[in-house]
Amino acid sequence: MEYEIEILPKKGFTDLHGARVLSDIMQAGIKDVKKTGYSPVYAIDGITKAEADLIGWEILSDKITETFFITESSTTAKDRGCKELSSGGEKVHAIEVWFKKGVTDTVSESVVKAIKDLGITKEVKVKTGHIYYIYGAVGKQVLEKIATTVLANTLIQDYKINELR
Amino acid sequence: MNCVNIEILKLNDKELINLSKKNTLSLNLKEMKAVKSYFKKLKRDPTDVEIETIAQTWSEHCKHKTLTGVINYSGADSKGKKVNITYKNLLKETIFKATAELNKKWCLSVFKDNAGVIEFDKLNGIAFKVETHNHPSALEPYGGAATGVGGVIRDILGVGLGAKPLANTDVFCFGNPDTPAKKVPDGMHHPKRIAKGVVAGVRDYGNRMGIPTVNGGVHFDDGYMANPLIYCGTMGIMPKSAIEKKVKSGDFVVVAGGRTGRDGIHGATFSSAELDKESDVSAVQIGNPIVEKKVLDTMLKARDLKLYRAVTDCGAGGLSSACGELGESTGVRIELEKVPLKYQGLAPWEIWISEAQERMVFAVPPKNVKKLLNLFDCENVEATVIGRFTNDKKLTLAYNGKTVGQLDMDFLHKGVPKTAAFARYAPLKETLRKPVKFNGTRIRESLKKVLADSAVCSKEQIIRQYDHEVQGQTIVKPLQGCAINIWGPGDAAVIWPYAVIKNTKKGIVLSNGINHQYGKADTYKMTASAIEEALRNAVAVGANPDRISVLDNFCWGNPEKPEVLGSLVRAAQACYDMSKKFGVPFISGKDSLYNEYTIRGKTFSIPPALLISAMGVIDNVENTMTMNFKRAGNLIMLLGITRNELGQSVFNRINKISGGIAPNVYPEESLKIMRGIYKAANAGLIEACHDISEGGLAAAVSEMAFAGSLGAIVKLGAVLTKENMTDAEILFSESNGRFIIEVKPDNAKKIKDIFKGSAISIAGVVTGDCKVEFGSDKVYISEKTGVLRSAWQNALNLF
Repeated sequence: MEYEIEILPKKGFTDLHGARVLSDIMQAGIKDVKKTGYSPVYAIDGITKAEADLIGWEILSDKITETFFITESSTTAKDRGCKELSSGGEKVHAIEVWFKKGVTDTVSESVVKAIKDLGITKEVKVKTGHIYYIYGAVGKQVLEKIATTVLANTLIQDYKINELR
Repeated sequence: MNCVNIEILKLNDKELINLSKKNTLSLNLKEMKAVKSYFKKLKRDPTDVEIETIAQTWSEHCKHKTLTGVINYSGADSKGKKVNITYKNLLKETIFKATAELNKKWCLSVFKDNAGVIEFDKLNGIAFKVETHNHPSALEPYGGAATGVGGVIRDILGVGLGAKPLANTDVFCFGNPDTPAKKVPDGMHHPKRIAKGVVAGVRDYGNRMGIPTVNGGVHFDDGYMANPLIYCGTMGIMPKSAIEKKVKSGDFVVVAGGRTGRDGIHGATFSSAELDKESDVSAVQIGNPIVEKKVLDTMLKARDLKLYRAVTDCGAGGLSSACGELGESTGVRIELEKVPLKYQGLAPWEIWISEAQERMVFAVPPKNVKKLLNLFDCENVEATVIGRFTNDKKLTLAYNGKTVGQLDMDFLHKGVPKTAAFARYAPLKETLRKPVKFNGTRIRESLKKVLADSAVCSKEQIIRQYDHEVQGQTIVKPLQGCAINIWGPGDAAVIWPYAVIKNTKKGIVLSNGINHQYGKADTYKMTASAIEEALRNAVAVGANPDRISVLDNFCWGNPEKPEVLGSLVRAAQACYDMSKKFGVPFISGKDSLYNEYTIRGKTFSIPPALLISAMGVIDNVENTMTMNFKRAGNLIMLLGITRNELGQSVFNRINKISGGIAPNVYPEESLKIMRGIYKAANAGLIEACHDISEGGLAAAVSEMAFAGSLGAIVKLGAVLTKENMTDAEILFSESNGRFIIEVKPDNAKKIKDIFKGSAISIAGVVTGDCKVEFGSDKVYISEKTGVLRSAWQNALNLF
């Protein structure tokens, strides 16, 4: 089974990377976005749910400042970790950025090794990606512009935009 | 997956060129014809592996065809006189020639290996190399810059039998970071995005390798908007006994480090092509510093155990270039299926030319193979035997037992036809413009604007991201000051390699010089100024001017255009002249040409830029200097003559003043002053030293004052000038050959004795009231150092 493990800052801890993304978006001349969030995400193929929990807890998240959120890769992309963080009824989009096939993903190589070191010796495949949460009423065109000029380098990365709420 | 034959024997000229374009070979018609003629003699068509091997080996990146080809130059000589000269090999007749004529005994390995090596002490040498990674960084700034650093570190690992890297350097030229988004060409990244990605790439690779990034510079110009320049350098130390390498027939070929994938396919030929919107995804390389760090640590152990006879890195052209170079004099047979792959499905030619990162190739005597493989295995580094050096002077490539390519080494390395090109150049006709008569208020405002200009302002937000302290040997650091106020812009860095060489007092100085603005007037002046600036920077921290070597890195546009090539010839002439006159040898270098990009049919070329990187030896690191003023009451002395040279200056640019004369170089005057500084520093007579460059005297004094949290009073009437100059001209002229030194009043006489016969004056005094004051009989300017520092520190808005 393939699971996606998303890493989120715990409530009360600052999402520094998310704040930096907001600053980048503003510097790119886009003023519509009021708040952003960021989560690294790891798609791991060949593990059980229990193993996903173990990997999220032991390898991928910082126990003090971060938490993690697991979804089956096959489930709808709407079911993302930001739901645990966000309050109120504001609109939220997620822009997911993943490496294109064939591009060297050095972080995934390290994760594969760490999983083996954890004692899970079977063959696993890992892909790393990024999820950017864009809060507020932002139009599709603007989201496309954010994705292509700030978040993804379309030469080596693919992106998809999902409306979460 | 196997190889295919490429039909070439039946092709006409047009079809040959089409083949070269279709397969991204970057070979011209003359070269394609040479390939055809070689295979005609063999009575067969080449395989894809063979033609790709030739394209890689003959690429501009690997062979420097333009600079080593025939050039018919028509234009100014070093004295500005119009001449017609035919260069049979520009590099040999200028840069190499100067080094050969200088014949310095302390130059241990020049222009023949992956880096230049000079003597550090009786037993050790120090190696330095600077590379560019412009095209990859334009496409993927983070990965491009990171692999630029990774690549140049491997050059140091691959010089001789390997040197231990001690420090990195980095110099960037970006487009204006405040460019409105809509002005950025379609399909290109915004300069700010490029800058952020590049800085992050250099930071992450250097920091993770545990190598301090100690010296560099950042420059901005609209001309670099879609084609940034990324120069990365590494310096390392090695025993003299490890400088020579020699492959023997029968040695095994071992590849160690990263696995091979499709990364960077056609990187070498791609660097000879213009950038466009459709540039190839596979040209992008992604680095993994953790793998390279393991390779570094293990191979240095293997070197000391003398387990291998030769080593080189897999850079541009991948295994093709690395194995081809090592086996040039013997011959080599490679079994491509033995190369460890990241994933299956690579064709033999892809395995052979992939530029996957973090790989080193070794020549290992049969008796040591097992020991070497065991050593790598113990340190978790993958190492594999992939072939053997032969004695047939042929490159033989096999895949699953079948020969997929065989080329004569002679043809491969010497068969490339000489290029012939025309070059012409006429420098800008410069005239002295009307005197600039600014009142005190305008001068004060200009000073703040000069300090805030991107050429002068603080680059602290970049420098602080780099670990410049790791290894604990950086004793003169990039940012200088007193107590906790460390923000002053150091002129150069000094490494004291005490952890490698026990009980040594010697140090290594690293500095650089680059100013593309002067090239807009004359590339001769630009080059001469860059060389002098690199030397000045090194001397300002305590380097011995008679023990400095330099590296050249040319970044130019398309050399097929006579004016572009002419400007390059003129720069090479300046390299020869300055190298001879300063007695400073070139030890290594690199050129990156075709820095052009096409958008909607319109071609844009970069402003030519020459980076001069200097490496010198300091006999006693206790006698190094920093640039911040140390104590109120000390004298401010000015060395060198100020001339009316404001052409292409920061002051002219911010005040929109056109014309003027760009700075010249006067080697005899400058060298005498530099020798004096070294002597005075070793006698303990100089408290602080700073060179005067962009922004002139006004910027340099201000920097020394706010770096030391002190003030200064400078009398403009005491500044020695060549001609009548206004106060503004004296303050902002960018004349070369000048330094400001801080001297205790008691030492003034001794200093004057040392500099007898040179231009020296007591121009002012260090004060304790945190104000910078300039005065003459016409104007008086006073500003708080806090205000000046704020203008300087808060100007760059990259992050």
